[in-house]
Amino acid sequence: MSSAQNKIQKSMENIKATEVMKQNTLRYLEARRVSQNRSASRQKPHAILQYAVAVICIFFLAGMGGYSVYRRPVSYISIDVNPSIELAVNRFDRVVSVTGYNADGHDILQHVPLKNISYLQAIDRLLQDAYYSRFLSRDSQLVVTVVSEHSDAMLEQIQANDSFQALDALTYSSDTACMKEAHQHEMSFGKYRAFLELAQYDDDITVEDCHGMSMGEIQNRIKTCQGHNGKNTTGGNPSKGHQNGHSKSHGHH
Amino acid sequence: MKSTEDVNRVMDAYADMVRRICFVHLKNRHDTEDVFQNVYMKYLLYEGTFESMEHEKAWFARVTINACTDWLRALSRRKWVSLDALAEESTELDNPSKEVLETVLKLPEKYRDVIYLFYYEGYTAVEIARILGKKENTVYTWLSRAKDILRERLGGDWL
Repeated sequence: MSSAQNKIQKSMENIKATEVMKQNTLRYLEARRVSQNRSASRQKPHAILQYAVAVICIFFLAGMGGYSVYRRPVSYISIDVNPSIELAVNRFDRVVSVTGYNADGHDILQHVPLKNISYLQAIDRLLQDAYYSRFLSRDSQLVVTVVSEHSDAMLEQIQANDSFQALDALTYSSDTACMKEAHQHEMSFGKYRAFLELAQYDDDITVEDCHGMSMGEIQNRIKTCQGHNGKNTTGGNPSKGHQNGHSKSHGHH
Repeated sequence: MKSTEDVNRVMDAYADMVRRICFVHLKNRHDTEDVFQNVYMKYLLYEGTFESMEHEKAWFARVTINACTDWLRALSRRKWVSLDALAEESTELDNPSKEVLETVLKLPEKYRDVIYLFYYEGYTAVEIARILGKKENTVYTWLSRAKDILRERLGGDWL
């Protein structure tokens, strides 16, 4: 050991941690240990709670997203006899909302629940319903009009319904522009399509006139006009669509 | 978190060293006690393991030096030990030892560390470099300059 080392060591040999300092520190550390353990044990339920909240949030958001998708209609079906009702159908073919466009339509919707079932079930339920059947007399005309990207497939399925076939109903497809115009006139787009068709032959007909007419009456007027036009023209095939191209004929059965 | 047994063991093993390192850096007993507790708190919460007792001791030396530096930096206090603190500790010392201690404590902080670690703890320059996180050559330079100052202040026959 060098002289310098000796001297340095000697100068510091009395500098030691006192017992008081050690014991204070040990007590402090023990208190911290207890505090840490307590907070750790308290954090466990917190952590579980946080996970639970996170999971709930995820499910909630997923649910909200799913619900939003479920609630969003992608297709619309207008069912008109005299009662005029519209079904809004989501991408899962479920009816997510129903709207009546005249007094009879409101009346029917009060008696026949059509929401949250498939549109095919809804139509079948409607046609089977005794209350609705009152409007399906021999003089009446059931017209089903669809606005959808898959209107052909939807109409094909609707037409496959036995009750539907028995009623000799008419089916058409239309588009959203026609639907918007119809709603501006507070009319179902199925009936509005019929009005537009009639308006091709009858310049005097107005939307207000059609409001008070049943589909049977409108169709009869159309047939009458078509008959007249057929005599006056060279016998061209009368279109069931309207001039603006909002709808196209789908033919009737 | 370290066990109570571990804490008791390192308290017995390194408390004096931690205390001395605090002494060469800090100006009073109150600061020393705070840093002393902080060092052992760091140990309590230290998640790593030590390869050997030497490794553990070096960890304590490094952590204590850093804790002292941080403490002084935080408080923006002067880095020189007051004579009051010295008076607290050196009552038992004879005059030559007190003079040596006073001279060491008046060295710049970085020189105090290397002098303490080299002469008192017996670390080599390589080990000191590792503890302080400095280059070996830097430690050699500091040691050389510190010795020069001590020789100058304590007389030629000191080293």
